[in-house]
Amino acid sequence: MEYEIVIAALFECSGEERFILEKEILTLGIESSCDETSAAVLRGGRTILSNVISTQIPIHQKFGGVVPEIASRKHIVNIMPVIDEAIRQAGVTLQDIDQVAVTYGPGLVGALLVGVSAAKSLAFALDKPLIGVNHLEGHIFANFLSSPELEPPFMALVVSGGHTALVDVRDYHRFHLMGQTRDDAAGEAFDKIARVMGLPYPGGPRIDALAKEGDPLAIDFPRALEEKGNYEFSFSGLKSAVLNYINSEKMKGHELRKADIAASFQHSVVEVLVSKAFAAVKEAGRDTLVLAGGVAANSGLEARLREQAAESGVAFHYPSRILCTDNAAMIACRGYYQAQHGEFSDLYLNAVPGLGLEEK
Amino acid sequence: MSILAIDTATQVSSVAVASADKLSAELTMQARLTHSETLMPHIEQVLKMASVKKEELEGLAVSIGPGSFTGLRIGLAAAKAMAYALRLPIVGVSTLKALAYHYPVPGVRIVSLLDAQKGNAYVESYEWEQGELVVKQEVTVLPVKEILPACGETGRPTVLLGDVAARRIRGRMELPQNVTVAPPYLVMPRAACVAALGLQELAAGRRDNIMDMEPMYIRRSEAEVLWEKRHPEAAK
Repeated sequence: MEYEIVIAALFECSGEERFILEKEILTLGIESSCDETSAAVLRGGRTILSNVISTQIPIHQKFGGVVPEIASRKHIVNIMPVIDEAIRQAGVTLQDIDQVAVTYGPGLVGALLVGVSAAKSLAFALDKPLIGVNHLEGHIFANFLSSPELEPPFMALVVSGGHTALVDVRDYHRFHLMGQTRDDAAGEAFDKIARVMGLPYPGGPRIDALAKEGDPLAIDFPRALEEKGNYEFSFSGLKSAVLNYINSEKMKGHELRKADIAASFQHSVVEVLVSKAFAAVKEAGRDTLVLAGGVAANSGLEARLREQAAESGVAFHYPSRILCTDNAAMIACRGYYQAQHGEFSDLYLNAVPGLGLEEK
Repeated sequence: MSILAIDTATQVSSVAVASADKLSAELTMQARLTHSETLMPHIEQVLKMASVKKEELEGLAVSIGPGSFTGLRIGLAAAKAMAYALRLPIVGVSTLKALAYHYPVPGVRIVSLLDAQKGNAYVESYEWEQGELVVKQEVTVLPVKEILPACGETGRPTVLLGDVAARRIRGRMELPQNVTVAPPYLVMPRAACVAALGLQELAAGRRDNIMDMEPMYIRRSEAEVLWEKRHPEAAK
């Protein structure tokens, strides 16, 4: 395969030439794990040539959440136009692509399978290597695209719709899981509470916006697992407490102070995330914290982390808004570093909907 | 002209390489492996078996449904990406019609039956007339238990094909005098038939567009059906 020749050539060149060759590697990334169909072309590990995202949010809105079958139906229609547009915007040809990286989990199985099948077929037809990428690792690596100077080691706080975790990123290939959620992810709690308050899907950004108008100390919601040295999260207790509060207010015939509820709930989530993240930074002896995942777009969380980072003299990075959403550039980035390390997939690659973050 | 044909509409995984006058190779498997795992390795293997390089292919035919939604999308995503990368013309062919290609016998009512979930089947019936496969009853969704009485009423010699015939009817229901279930090697979708139909369509100049091609679902998603039940005004 051509790719192997390139790699073999790398070891025979001088430092400068090698640098240029590495930079020239083009990775096509494909992402279809939930309600976004995305394809991207990356030059080297950090330069985005294109990052095309087709979102289905308006389609799922009336159902109050992502409908897996409808998401899969949209992916199969969108996948080729999105890939084609990514190639076109990158100003390259399909034949220029050196390797194909694709999300194989976690996510909705039917949705994942569209991207995985297309990626495998492309890799086969083009005779290029295939790289299966963990979506959550992709979210962490989005930070390398937003912050070109960022290098491991650092602590990563991953907060997405389905996951909440603290990961000590030791280098590009070794991750240590400090702790993750025992039950609900932070994002799930946001969506559920938004739905009960009658806010349209997706609920996270609505709560974030509403919270700015409310008093974060108006209602004292609980915070779980606050003991020192515990890096696990639990948001189901908080979720129940907020839902109970809303029900009891309704029963009493009180008008819901939605802004105060949103602000107090968000405050409770954010404080837990911030205190655990900085405790983890300290324990692992890191000087850098990065935020990753869909909930990274939450402005309240980002502001508090930034504030705390300045206070504790810790460097803080978070992806730009577009790189926080599900996107293929971050998948291509993770894929690029996996390829550097020789981690390729074969044509038997399958979707793994329940894939988690693992010790590496 | 060699084409590659793919059928992943049911639990059967089938790929074939064929030209107008020759089936070069076919790989058909019914095992408990997922299409996602096996399809690409099978494509690689069937090309090798046929001694056809992927660059030598001149077209693609893919079984487009109805059938398992996920299975259809796995086959179609792979077919579209391959058509895109190798710049090949592609046609989607009806899974029901491809099944009927097993029986090029005039004077016989051919009824293709594929699982439509919840005790239902996608049904389409055909007869061969002067070398042409003519649709006698357009595709519809019927409860499986209504199929045999309907076939019995026609009085025509009838053969049943497809996963519903193999798993739900054979050995479980009493067949009317005029009805038989196809034997196990003919009852399932086979990519050879998809290739035969696809070659004919390609020769007739029909092309599908990979940029908007989708499976033939027939049924809508449950969520949409439920939503419209709850919002009768909006549905109008």
